[in-house]
Amino acid sequence: MKTRRFAVVVSALTALTLAAACSSGTNARSGSDGADGKTLTLASVDQGSIEDVIKAFEAANPGVKVNFTTSGADQYQAQIRTQLASGTAPDVMTVWPGNGNPGATYVLAKPGYLLDLSDQPWAAKLPEAFKTVAQYEGKTYNAVFGLNGIGAVYNDEALARSGLKAPTTWTELLAFCRDAKGKGTPAYALGIQDNWVTQLVLYALAATVVFGPDRDFNTKLASGQATFAGSAWTQAMARYQEMEKAGCFQKNPLGTSYEASQTLAATGKTLGIVQGNWIISLLKQKNPNGTFTMTALPATDDPATFLMPAAAGAGYGVNAKAKNRDLALKFVTYVMSPAGMKLFNEKQGSLPTLPGAGTTVDPGLKELTTFVEGNRTVPFMDQLWPNAKVQQSMLSGLQEVFSNQATGDEVLKDMDTEYQKGE
Amino acid sequence: MTADLRVRQFGRADAAPRAYRRRGGPPWWFALPALLFFAFVVLVPSVRGVYYAFTDWDGLDPEFDFIGLRNFTDMLDDATASQAIWHTLLIAVAITVIQNGIGLLLALGVNSAIKSRNILRVLLFAPVVVTPIVTAYLWRNLLGPDGAVNSLLAVVGLESWQQDWLGDPDLALWMVVLVVVWQFAGYSMVIFLAGLQSIPREIYEAAAIDGTGAVRRFWSIVRPLLAPAITINLMLSIIGGIKLFDQVYALTGGGPGHATDTISTLIYKDAFTLGEFGYSIALAVVLTIIIAIVSAGQYAALSRNERAAS
Repeated sequence: MKTRRFAVVVSALTALTLAAACSSGTNARSGSDGADGKTLTLASVDQGSIEDVIKAFEAANPGVKVNFTTSGADQYQAQIRTQLASGTAPDVMTVWPGNGNPGATYVLAKPGYLLDLSDQPWAAKLPEAFKTVAQYEGKTYNAVFGLNGIGAVYNDEALARSGLKAPTTWTELLAFCRDAKGKGTPAYALGIQDNWVTQLVLYALAATVVFGPDRDFNTKLASGQATFAGSAWTQAMARYQEMEKAGCFQKNPLGTSYEASQTLAATGKTLGIVQGNWIISLLKQKNPNGTFTMTALPATDDPATFLMPAAAGAGYGVNAKAKNRDLALKFVTYVMSPAGMKLFNEKQGSLPTLPGAGTTVDPGLKELTTFVEGNRTVPFMDQLWPNAKVQQSMLSGLQEVFSNQATGDEVLKDMDTEYQKGE
Repeated sequence: MTADLRVRQFGRADAAPRAYRRRGGPPWWFALPALLFFAFVVLVPSVRGVYYAFTDWDGLDPEFDFIGLRNFTDMLDDATASQAIWHTLLIAVAITVIQNGIGLLLALGVNSAIKSRNILRVLLFAPVVVTPIVTAYLWRNLLGPDGAVNSLLAVVGLESWQQDWLGDPDLALWMVVLVVVWQFAGYSMVIFLAGLQSIPREIYEAAAIDGTGAVRRFWSIVRPLLAPAITINLMLSIIGGIKLFDQVYALTGGGPGHATDTISTLIYKDAFTLGEFGYSIALAVVLTIIIAIVSAGQYAALSRNERAAS
């Protein structure tokens, strides 16, 4: 009996110690979490470009240390939401413009997780198109430093070797695809095994087909005056499938990953790829001697009506409960300064959102720059959709279209259903 | 030798202190620290988590509402969810049957007296120790349109057999099964092998002297004596199959479309891509219930079988 009581006491003590160890661990963390004004915590998706920006920031602020993590978008969004909800989020973090994805400005600002940056000097200078997506209820929360566009990116060498010319109208595009296929080198690489890639061709087509005749389409969609299934979106969807039928893409796009599609385009196994401008630096990593040029993807026979999807890329927000608020603001100010912006954009291959950054733009992006300057761009379509499910229905729906499990109309109808559910 | 066997069989009970036998086993409070720890880290958070299945929490907003059973009723109308439940059960059954079939054959093979049996055992077990994510990425490359599998088919003149293995909705699910079986057949093999090695040689020898054939020997001697190993293997693979996530997510991401989505990949997507935490936890609750029912049923059936066999 004696031993038994002793053992019970021991067990209880063990449990208590365990519990105590856990709770003291939590206390210890909050006490020494680098709130010394010298250590900044940062989470970012800008793999390959943020590293240089951090180095420059540390050099400009002696004694300051930036602890940072980078990861892919899917993983990052899961991580940041968990950290925010549990109060362990970093001081500065990647935030996407607008709405429609789990790490977007509206989504994070609405429950109060982001610090109001409206009083920062750069906030007032943002062009109107960026303000809409960097703000929530009139306050700025997102330091968007770069602009991205979507179009057809050609491998100049492969194009020259094929003897073909980059198409400038829809009719030419279909002929170009047939000719390229005939010569054994398909026109565009398509890596839609990764489902986010499925949207890019559709966006490139919809920019001209949907927003060309009606720049206010999004407002009409939001007010219920228009639907996806009852609009020119059906035409954009049909043209995507027409491209597939004309042999514009390599064989088996559904089994091809984003990574594999880069290899195809970089090494000239296809003549190009329909992607965002960020692809150029990735293609150059795979083929350092290659040159790549981006143009608008023709969607009609009148080049004067062409529009390109172009929008603010992911920017940076400050945690409303940042442990080092001053340092966090200093970092964001640096990102938005001409020096920081130039460094970021050149490394990333994006265009600056503020004038006067002095960024040297990749020569392959000349056409995108012209379109941006001529106000011939429309935002990425999902940035103003009310919830993340609209985009997800489109992404998996397009995979179903390509594997004959669904029709384009069905996908658009699903998108309407999700859109009407609202926020 | 028979005496030796008896010692092995009854030795433990004889050696146990009398007090243990009287009370029918070691005192329960020996497990108390472990139980408390388990309750603290697993039980309490799990039970508290279930509450969210009845809310519309988005995983972020501190304000959310209690919505009763709505997440569960929504599930009934969600074609993607019912499709995923069907995929999950199909994958679990396919994996259980194929993996254990192959595992048993491998175990019988490497249990024989062939010279290279130790090397073979290591080779066959090797995939098990590699992380599922790594094997999934490896196979994703092998099964790609320009991957090794299609190249091999071309080399041997079977171009017409070339497929978009992971991009074809009719094939993708089976490719997931293939990869899981490839990785874990060695695991089943090891458990079967342990079972086979506990069967005394003498029994085989006696049977051989009596002139029984290989099939009869397997059915009447090996199978009943292997019953515990079969139970363990079937339980582990069906549970593993039902909660399959890593391999599917890395191989196909649930696609093309939703053609390979399982309950686990949907739970992940709903929670982290769509910010529907409440709904995602409701799905997780359903998954737990399915696992509990299937494994309880299986356990009852198998232990009855085991008793009958012994």
